[in-house]
Amino acid sequence: MASGENRAYVLQLARRFTGSSRPFLCEKGLSVTQGAFESCTSVSARASTARWKRTDRFAGCSCKRRKFSAPEQKSMCHFPQRSSVWPFPKLCSIPWRFYHTSTALMCSCSKTVSDEKYQDPFQLGRKDLKNLYEDIKKELLVSTAELREMCEYYFDGKGKAFRPMIVVLMARACNIHHSNSREVQASQRSVAIIAEMIHTASLVHDDVIDDANSRRGKMTVNQIWGERKAVLAGDFILSAASLALARIGNTTIISVLTQVIEDLVRGEFLQLGSKENENERFAHYLEKTFKKTASLIANSCKAVSILGCPDPKVHEIAYQYGKNVGIAFQLIDDVLDFTSCADHLGKPAAADLKLGLATGPVLFACRQKEPRGRLECMHVFVSSSFGHLQGHASQERQEREEYQLLGSAA
Amino acid sequence: MWGALLRRWGRGGGRRGLSGGGPPSAAPWSQVVSEAEKIVGYPTSFMSLRCLLSDELSNIAMQVRKLVGTKHPLLDTARGFVYDSRNNLQMRGLVVLLISKAAGPSTAELSFQHNMVSGIYSSQRSLAEITELIHTAFLVHRGIVNIGELKSCDGPLKDMQFGNKMAVLSGDFLLANACTSLAQLQNTKVVELISSAIGDLVQGIYYENSRSSENCLTDDIGISTWKEQVFLSHSALLAKSCQAAMELAKHSAEMQDMAFRYGKHMSMSHKLHSDLQPFVKESSSDAMAFSLNCAPAVLHQEFLGRDAWIKQIREAQGKGNLMDYKKLQEAIKAGKGVTSAIDLCRCHGNRALAALESFPPSEARAALANIVHAVTRFS
Repeated sequence: MASGENRAYVLQLARRFTGSSRPFLCEKGLSVTQGAFESCTSVSARASTARWKRTDRFAGCSCKRRKFSAPEQKSMCHFPQRSSVWPFPKLCSIPWRFYHTSTALMCSCSKTVSDEKYQDPFQLGRKDLKNLYEDIKKELLVSTAELREMCEYYFDGKGKAFRPMIVVLMARACNIHHSNSREVQASQRSVAIIAEMIHTASLVHDDVIDDANSRRGKMTVNQIWGERKAVLAGDFILSAASLALARIGNTTIISVLTQVIEDLVRGEFLQLGSKENENERFAHYLEKTFKKTASLIANSCKAVSILGCPDPKVHEIAYQYGKNVGIAFQLIDDVLDFTSCADHLGKPAAADLKLGLATGPVLFACRQKEPRGRLECMHVFVSSSFGHLQGHASQERQEREEYQLLGSAA
Repeated sequence: MWGALLRRWGRGGGRRGLSGGGPPSAAPWSQVVSEAEKIVGYPTSFMSLRCLLSDELSNIAMQVRKLVGTKHPLLDTARGFVYDSRNNLQMRGLVVLLISKAAGPSTAELSFQHNMVSGIYSSQRSLAEITELIHTAFLVHRGIVNIGELKSCDGPLKDMQFGNKMAVLSGDFLLANACTSLAQLQNTKVVELISSAIGDLVQGIYYENSRSSENCLTDDIGISTWKEQVFLSHSALLAKSCQAAMELAKHSAEMQDMAFRYGKHMSMSHKLHSDLQPFVKESSSDAMAFSLNCAPAVLHQEFLGRDAWIKQIREAQGKGNLMDYKKLQEAIKAGKGVTSAIDLCRCHGNRALAALESFPPSEARAALANIVHAVTRFS
């Protein structure tokens, strides 16, 4: 059951996600199990459902599902009844896709539940994204064959296109909400393309920074063509995205999406530093997660909502949705780095640990109750952070030990 | 932080900040620059240094300390920010400000209410800063090494990886700052222009890279290809910034075109001028190393023919693959390469001056003309 410390911790997280100073989860919702992975998944589940409007009523519920009569309303475990509900007919299915761990959970509030029939969001968005990669390649027209080859390397159609999918679905939702239109505007589609380009440009640079060998099941750009050209390719993709952004012709959209570029860079800088204080560490990690991953999704959702609907409340909701899905996505990605193997991931596993990055599972593991467990995890954390400064051979042995340690801590 | 860092590794006696390592007659050049700075209202030398003082880059500076003693190019780049550099680091911002002032206030709408200080709109000042930021960002991004090509004599691998990481991060930071400031200008046409300039710059640097990494020391390119590539790597940014400065003040399309031409031809002249330095300087000491793809060499090859040129290179290489630059320099000077490069430089200079004619006479216009005279002077 929830200890006082854990409850305060999760409250802190909830406040952080929603910016609310008052708790909105009921007592039972705060039952957080001790294990590292359970904590992560329940937090991420909460994040993904935080798109709902907050209410100040602190209704104690009994962990049963509440059914709503209106067709567009959803049933939600542990959330007080709403009077007005934001219709997201197609979007609730998204969190399901990324719920990977199969650990048995004591409290079912770790799952997002909905009355909607599960529809594959990628299928829903498929029509709009059919020519996504061809359109991106059109933006990357450049006379130098090798430069073009480098830039088009990740736009081969094998990527998930997760961000563009969210963007077009959000665009549709906003369009239907505002004017019952079932079309996606050309400018909204541009935003999807731009989001994917910015994301890819940051991937190329990240691979140089992390000296990565493989991504999406094949070699990285820096591995094949060298670091100098890889950095240039990343810059070129970014400039092409910026050009496409300018051509939309809307200065608000330019400001919103430029914020992403700034956040991406600041997120990388945040990753360079670390916090001494344990309480600050998690906040620091969340901020970095927001800047590196969630900002792009949040701001692209906001951008399409601005294009689709003039109501600022809608823009805010789109932003919050994107932000929380983004954070949830990254949390699960960090978990997968521990639980999955390289074949499934398409990139080497345990990459974060090798780089000395303390991600969600590590931070939660450090908060273990047992002193021995906590001590061991602190050792892992500290030595991982500086492990890259030590010699190779000892580092590999150390990594193996740490990996086993964290596996047993789960 | 940067000051302490640079004092540690800097060579003593470099002149601070002002552009000017290239031209031989340094005194007139710095005179031109300092007069120009008075016209625009403040010294532009430290424009992008302001960004370097931010928290993030101070953080980087602390980390870059670890690179002292290694061979990573980031050190040279950082050194160049403060000391003399052949790249005339701060010149671009100054030119953008001058041309903004030379064009005068907006004639388009009476309701054009923007701040004007010293005859220059604040948006134009911001644009000058953006230009410098982009230029600096790419200077930093140029200083990255290919990990796969490192040899043991280059030092520990981890140092080079670390240097790469810092270089990528700082370059990205500067670019992100440039993008944010661009967005704040609230002008989509300007964003379009500058984004395309960045794309051009990337392509230009790409050509630079390809040249230096090939096995044969020199490409088989004619002067027109050379001009295209140099336009991308050296002129596009300044030319498009000048045009964008006109757009910010809502000047006519003709004015924008003239500003573009001035920027383009002036920077071409400048590049030719710095390429010619090893050939026009009267120095009895060892010849400076020069790129085999510099303008005089390319022109020399055009006159002589590729085979004869390759033969001369091989002769100059001698045993052990050490290039005897003095010998090669003599060979080039003996041909028509140098004189035709000088002619080309003056030709571009004249075109730049012709473009200036469309601007009303003013101090700023005179300063711009002085800059052209300085880069076409060879005595």
